[in-house]
Order: sequence, then C-alpha cells, then structure tokens
Amino acid sequence: MSRLELPAIDATRAGLVLFVASIAFLYSPIFIRPPSGTFVFLELAVLFLLYALILIGLNLQFGHTGLVNFGPVAFFAVGGYAAAILTANDPYRAVGLGFAWPVGLVAGVLAAVALGVLLGFSTLKLRDDFLAIVTLAVAEIIHGLTITFRDITGGSIGLQNVPRPIADMTGGGGGAELFATIVVLGSVCLLAYGVFHRLSASPYGRVLRAIRADEQVTETLGKRVFRYKLVVFIYGAAIGGLAGALLVFYNGAASASFFTIDVTVIVWIGMLIGGAGSDRGVLGGLALIMGFQLLTRFFNDLLPFVTQDQFASIRLVLVGLLLMLVVKYRPEGIWGTAEELEVES
Amino acid sequence: MALPLAQELIFGLVIGSYIALGAIGFTLVYGLVNMINFAHGEFITIGAFVGYLAVVFGGVSLPVALVVALGVAAVTGWAIARLTFEPMNDAGAVPLLLMSIGLGLVLRNGMRAIAGPDRRNVPVAVTTYRFDDLGFFVTSNQLFIIGVTLFVVLVLHLFLSRTMVGISMRATADNERLALVSGIDTRQIRNAVWLAASGLAGVAGVMLAVSQSANPSVGFGQLLLIITAAILGGAGSPYGAVAGSYLLGVGIAVSVAFLPADIVALSSTMAFAILIVVLLVRPGGIANTEVRTS
Repeated sequence: MSRLELPAIDATRAGLVLFVASIAFLYSPIFIRPPSGTFVFLELAVLFLLYALILIGLNLQFGHTGLVNFGPVAFFAVGGYAAAILTANDPYRAVGLGFAWPVGLVAGVLAAVALGVLLGFSTLKLRDDFLAIVTLAVAEIIHGLTITFRDITGGSIGLQNVPRPIADMTGGGGGAELFATIVVLGSVCLLAYGVFHRLSASPYGRVLRAIRADEQVTETLGKRVFRYKLVVFIYGAAIGGLAGALLVFYNGAASASFFTIDVTVIVWIGMLIGGAGSDRGVLGGLALIMGFQLLTRFFNDLLPFVTQDQFASIRLVLVGLLLMLVVKYRPEGIWGTAEELEVES
Repeated sequence: MALPLAQELIFGLVIGSYIALGAIGFTLVYGLVNMINFAHGEFITIGAFVGYLAVVFGGVSLPVALVVALGVAAVTGWAIARLTFEPMNDAGAVPLLLMSIGLGLVLRNGMRAIAGPDRRNVPVAVTTYRFDDLGFFVTSNQLFIIGVTLFVVLVLHLFLSRTMVGISMRATADNERLALVSGIDTRQIRNAVWLAASGLAGVAGVMLAVSQSANPSVGFGQLLLIITAAILGGAGSPYGAVAGSYLLGVGIAVSVAFLPADIVALSSTMAFAILIVVLLVRPGGIANTEVRTS
C-alpha cells in the first residue's frame, strides 16, 4: 500500500480548488485587464457559462432521465427575478428590497426549487410530450407575468441597481471585472459539471437511465420512479435558478429580455447537437451553437445588402435547419452514443 | 332591451372560429400521426399570406381567396410533411416534436426574411349591421368567419362519418395496428390527414389575415391557444377540438369585457393556466379521450 496513488483529476475536485482560488483572486488586489478587442468574446463566454449551468441540469433531466422539460428558462427567470427583487436598491419603477447579495443568491435558488417542486409534483405523471407542453406553457406564463406585473418586475424596462458583487470586489475596471466573472463562473460551472457527472455516473445515474428506457420495468424493480423524477427535476430547477441569480449579479439588472424562449431554444439545440446524455458532449454542442451565432454576426458585416432584421431571421432559419438535420440524421448528436440513447441513426 | 353579453358572445365566436379551424387540424395530426406539431402555426401563416396575395395581387373576392388558400396550404403542408415527418414516422413522439420545432423555426423565419416583419392588412369591404336596441353590432366579416367555420365543421362531420376515407381515418386514430391489419393503407390515411390539417390551417390563416393582419408570426401567435383548445377538447378528438375552441374563445372575450384591465393583459396567460389545469385534472379533455402512454 506504499505505492503513491495519484488521484485521477476529477472535475469536482478541480472545480472546488479553482473556486477557492477564484475567491482568493477576487479578494486579492491583483486584477487582469484583458485587451478591449476581446470583450465581445468574453461577454459571450460569460453567457456560455451561465447557459452551461442550465444545460448541466437539463441534461440530467432529459439526457439521463428522459424528462422533456421545455421550460428551463422558467427556472432561470424565477431565480433571476427573485435575486434581483430581494437585492435591488431603489430600482426604477419596480420593487427592490435592498438585501445583501448572498440573500438574493440563496433566495434565487430556493424560488426556483419551489417552482420545481410545485411543477414536478403536479406534472411529472404526464406522458412525455404533454410534459413538454406544460413546461413550455409555464415558461410562457412566467414571461407573461413579468411583463404584466411591471410594478414589481419593471416589465420590459426591468429592475436596475442590482448589486454586482464580482465587479465590486475587482479593482481595476475596464474589463477586469469581466475576466474575474469568467474565472468565478468557470469554476462554478466546473464544480457543477463534476457533481452532476458524478451523480449520473453513479448507480443513481443508472436508475435514471433505466427510467428513461422503461418506466414500468424500473418501477417493477422496486425503484420509486416518481420520486427519482421529482428529485432530478428539482436538481435541474435549482441549478437553473442559480444561473439566473448569477446572471443578474453579473448584469446588475434583470429584464424580461434576458429570459425569453430563445434561452430554451439555444440550450436545447446545444444539447441535441452535442448528444443528450453525454455530459461533455452537450457542453461541446452548446459551444458550437453559440460559436455559430458569433460567427454569423461577423458575416452580417460582410453582406451589406442584407438588413439586420433579415439576417437575424436567416440565422434562425439556419439554426432550425441544423436542428432538423440533427434530429433526422444524427439523433444521438455528435458525441452521444446511439445504443445508450436507444435511437436509430 | 340591451343584451350585455351579446357583443362579447359574437367576439368570442369569431375568436373561437379561427382557433377551431387550427385546432381541428392540430388534433387530427395528433390523433393519427401521434405527434404534437409545433409547426402547425406556420401552416396557418402560409394560408394568411396566400390569402393576402390572392386578394391584393390576384384581385379575387374573399371566398375565392379562401379556396385558393385552402388548396395551396393543403398541398404545401402535405409536401412539407412528406419531406420532414413521414420518413421518421416510427421515431417516436419526442423526435417528431423536436423536428416540428426546427421546421417551425425555419418556416417562420424564412417567411420573415422574405416578407419582412410588417403587418399587412387585407382590404375587404365591411358592412356593419347594428342592432342598437339590443346593444350589439355584427360585421359581415364576423358573420363570414363564423359561417365558414360552421360550414367546415359540417363538411368535416359528413367526411368523417359518411366517407370511406373518413371512417378509415377514425379507425386509424383509434388503433393504428388494427386498422393496418384490417387492410387500411395507413400511409394513405396519413397523407389525407396532412392535406386536411394544413388545408384547414390555410383557411384559418385567411380568417386571421382578414380580422387581424398577415404577418410572419400570425400563426405562431395562435399556436398555444390552439394547443390549449385541442387539449381542452380532448387531444385527438375533432369534435372536442371544436367545443374546446368555442369555449376558449367565448371565455377570452367575456373575461376581457368583465375583468379589470390589469387582468385582461393576462388573458393569454390565463389560457395557459387553463391548459395546465385541464391536463392535470382531466387529461382526456371534454371528449375524455384515452391518453395513450406512448
């Protein structure tokens, strides 16, 4: 037993170490100011990390357990708004309670969990495609509520003056906070990936995949299918709420335009392209689809005769086409395995 | 004597009419192809644009435009379905659903890229019939929309109950395998369903173009209402879809009239809430259809 055993590099541990390091980095007077030409990419990277958090939860729900959740943005929005309403100081025409940001962070996660419990208890017994409709409708209801109750949420103008803890703790300014945000969010993401990957690789994850393959057989084996589904649904809700809270603390504002159905579309397409059920693959898929959007943004400048509005439409046509091609020709995605998903390629 | 509800009832019947035409198609596809078609709204939009083009550039009257839109939307919808959904018919409910979402994105934004986001009004002569002592008015457009829908429902009923294709359709919806071994060519039935569903969507599109406007998201805007109506009536049941649509239409119109303005802004939100409650309490809807576990 004297042989030195090197622990395999594990995402959970790496994430923890990186997280502690990033907090130390925040408290230290050191800052790194990236060149201003890279801001476009860095801002996209922040968004990628936030969407990746949602996707990690969604992949556990759909990729591993087969729950068709078409409303991940609902939990993202509820987390974001709960955090913003509790922490905003004197927002413009909205409710802001001015608590410290950790209160908002916890409340964001709890609010999303509460929605997850409510929704999970009531809907997880429906069949796949009905669950899709209900979750989609809930996301639309929440979007509608944020617009309607503008005295509370600020409507389409949104809630301003939300604290920005990462930016406040970083000296320097001029992009330094952007870099710090990426470091912190990156470590959170890595940690979340590690935890969820451990979960899905464990015997627990095998039960989830059994549920995806056949609920009745799994039930016969003595597994409480409904409870597994509910818990998985809540895990996804919690991490979506966390992402929402982190988004408003990064932006210093919450607005209905951050939480549209586009978030659901991007995250889902990223998951399907990468290969639902493959923990690393889905993140690769998300990177591909977001990179594709960035790339097409540059193309627009090359085609002056196409208006911006037309170009936005064409981009969505291409995204839709990509989705159709993936569903048709490679239903297991780029990095997924066909046998595991039980699809015919 | 003024009838306080009469005016809202008329508005409700109009809303219910175009939802009904959309919902019948949606529910037929759901029952026979066993898929939730998120691109159904785009078939409606196609009808709206065809109707607009026929009236404005073709110079035809509204009834002719309706027939043109019915034909064009039916053939287009059928061709699209043949290319996209038919080859993966056995893949299951969720892949088909995802396919329809991709198709919806492509069609909606494709039309937007070509036609632009503008709202185009269809110019039609409108006569208003006033019944002031009874406290309501009705326009020739509204009568036309309600009348056409009732006519279509009647034709649909005769088709489903009196023709061989209609009866085979009901048999296939009930039990596809049994229908197949009984000698029904279920592929032909699916073709007929796509033709009927997208044709009806085309008619609904013309009605929406007349009562609102033709624009690239006109159909998509109605989609969740259509799904709600179809599920409220009992997914897969055309008669239930009609009942669900009128119930929803009248419900929306009456709530707009009697609830305070703040809540009215919630009317579409309320429709989704109704949808969820129906699915939870009585997933079979009004017709209490059997909800198959795919």
